[in-house]
Amino acid sequence: MPPQESKGQGAITVEHLPPELTRRLYRDMRTARDLDTEAIALQRQGVFPAYVSVRGQEAAQVGSATALDPARDFVFPTYREMASALAYGVEMVGYMATHRALWHGGLYDVMDSRFGAINAVVGGPVPHAVGWALGERLRGDDGVAMAYFGDGASSEGDVHEAMNFAGVLAAPVIFFCQNNQWALSVPNERQVAGGSVAARAEGYGMPGVLVDGNDAGAVHTATAEAVERARNGGGPTVIEALTYRIEPHSTSDDPGRYRDEADTEHWRRRDPVVLLRAAMLEAGHADEEHFAAVDAEAARRAEQVRDGVADAPEPDGSELFTHVFRETTEELTRQHRTWQEEVEL
Amino acid sequence: MTELIERADTTVESAVVELSMQQAINRALRVLLTEDPDVLVFGEDVGALGGVFRVTDGLQKEFGDQRVFDTPLAESAIMGMAVGLAMNGWRPVPELQFDGFAYPAVDQIVNQVARMNYRTRGAAPMPITLRLPSFGGIQAPEHHGESLEALFAHTPGLKVVAPSDPAEAYSLLLQSVRSDDPVVYMEPKARYWDRRPVRLSEPTDPIGTSRIVRPGRHATLVAWGAMVHRCVQVAELAAEDGVELEVLDLRWLKPIDAAGLAASVARTKRAVVVHEAPLTAGLGAEVAALITENCFRELAAPVQRVTGFDVPYPAGPLEPQYLPTIDRVLLAVQRTLEY
Amino acid sequence: MAEENITFTLPDLGEGLVEATVLEWQVAVGDTIGRNDPLVEVETTKSAVVIPSPKAGRVVELHAREEDVVPVGEPLVTFAVEVEESAPQAGIVGRVPEEEAKPKRRVRLKPPTD
Repeated sequence: MPPQESKGQGAITVEHLPPELTRRLYRDMRTARDLDTEAIALQRQGVFPAYVSVRGQEAAQVGSATALDPARDFVFPTYREMASALAYGVEMVGYMATHRALWHGGLYDVMDSRFGAINAVVGGPVPHAVGWALGERLRGDDGVAMAYFGDGASSEGDVHEAMNFAGVLAAPVIFFCQNNQWALSVPNERQVAGGSVAARAEGYGMPGVLVDGNDAGAVHTATAEAVERARNGGGPTVIEALTYRIEPHSTSDDPGRYRDEADTEHWRRRDPVVLLRAAMLEAGHADEEHFAAVDAEAARRAEQVRDGVADAPEPDGSELFTHVFRETTEELTRQHRTWQEEVEL
Repeated sequence: MTELIERADTTVESAVVELSMQQAINRALRVLLTEDPDVLVFGEDVGALGGVFRVTDGLQKEFGDQRVFDTPLAESAIMGMAVGLAMNGWRPVPELQFDGFAYPAVDQIVNQVARMNYRTRGAAPMPITLRLPSFGGIQAPEHHGESLEALFAHTPGLKVVAPSDPAEAYSLLLQSVRSDDPVVYMEPKARYWDRRPVRLSEPTDPIGTSRIVRPGRHATLVAWGAMVHRCVQVAELAAEDGVELEVLDLRWLKPIDAAGLAASVARTKRAVVVHEAPLTAGLGAEVAALITENCFRELAAPVQRVTGFDVPYPAGPLEPQYLPTIDRVLLAVQRTLEY
Repeated sequence: MAEENITFTLPDLGEGLVEATVLEWQVAVGDTIGRNDPLVEVETTKSAVVIPSPKAGRVVELHAREEDVVPVGEPLVTFAVEVEESAPQAGIVGRVPEEEAKPKRRVRLKPPTD
């Protein structure tokens, strides 16, 4: 059985962790927070047609992504993994390009980044992670696949099918559920029967871990253990990081219709960035001077990405036809000419 | 107008009211939930939120959470559950939130919903209406704008309809839900906000009839959903050049109104079919075949198709170039005129 | 540093919204504000949102009064901003393709002779 729900009322501690790790976690979480704020502003300013905020989920994303090895592992994200991408080292102007609708999957190199294309089909990429992981096992390599999904996606058949496959095949994959408690307008109690995604692991014959998703150190430790197990042939793990979607589902959403914003106050007070900072001061991992420098650098980097994506050129219309096939067809070439004919009118 | 809108809120039939398409569909759902206690509305976020396009706004409040309810996020289960509800005597009106997310449910729609009546030799009818926000035009994220009509029209046992304006949306939904056959009701997202004075009325034409939106004598433009509006724009521009285009709103994509198509094209002698979906094996091919079969001798030119390209619906700024543009339709019209 | 007037039009705040109602201006003509400072609260059919300022600069003109309904793409506010001569122009454009009263066309038709 998974451990009892650790909503982690109050503070977190990082005394047992290496200071260089917590400094890295803080830097990436802070940068992701600033970039998230810039992205919401870009939507309001008409540069992004829409944006999905990761606010409140930085610890779950950065804590888990930093436990992976970007040189040998592979991440399969959904559409709300900006902080994971940043912590994993994805080129962020290319990542944010998806939110400016420059290219659906983003403009970063998926294979070089070892970070899959942004995917809006909830649950859809989870079986991909199992396939990638099986590929590693078959070749005798030691890479681990990370499948991110949410509490809403946990209802999809694909997720259950993927977990069963991974159990049967002992695939080196981590099913990382960020339970942010809201699948658009539907709360956990009407989404997850039994109340726990981690508990489902038992039925698929793998360990299931419930972790405080706002405690970056705890998320990192839980993920690192699962990575270690998978790398050494111990098979898959389900991790459920309990967190909260502070912002609306997307910038076009109106949560006032379905939830009481007063209920989010508890989670706003448990801001993972603030919690980590306090714990680091307490543990003597950093001082105010360090934070001032890191905060300034985070803001600068966020602005750089913001300006990069805002100023990026729109793709040329001929790109409609470029990537449909590796070897294009005569008919598609003819359609390309039809398009060209109109451009040249 | 305010007074009329307030009156319309009490569902005064035949009043002229100013409504958007989303409001017209909402109005029809209220009529259906009121007149038939077996009607159930369910899907992702259709309850408290009122749907991502507000089409089900207020329905849960008015009819309770036993008849209008949110489901977990699982499209295949939504459609599979509709089958079981139908077998237990209910009249399900499920919503799949976006067309691209109908794909995970295609197994249930094609293998189960569409052929249960056939499989059971009529013992288990499927009076299910799948409401599916459809097509592009709002520069949405991936999977939030797709054209699945050819897939559904190709599936034996399904009827398929795509309204083009608020009044049509209202009466066609009444007709779809009251039908004992399964209907895929494709709502053109790009026209949800199309607000105009409309006369709400009971359906009068049988299932499978088209309508002439604008009469003309030089060529017929055939379209459905949001492309009807595009064709009306084209017809208005063509009129400046002295070319009178007839705009035929197919409405029903299965069954297709072969007689209506033939009657129009027999008069105009030329036809251009316009759809958002990719060209190859799109419904335009079916329309062209029907016209050719029925009007071969009258045709002055081969039927032209103006469609999306054989590429996935692209992101943001590329979408307007993917969708049939005014000039692409005009070029096709010119080709039929010069043939 | 030169000064330049830049007009910010109402962006599409949702997917395909066509207009918004100005609820409350949070700046006045003459105010000097920073990028992302609260500019104006507007209400759409989906929600009420505060638009953060897309520019740092001095507010020169507000193009709508409170309670006015502003169509997407119409002017909202004009700023005087300092620009370096070589600074790239940040492109801030409306998202909804305008429903033009008169749609654009390039192709002209010739009526058939039959």
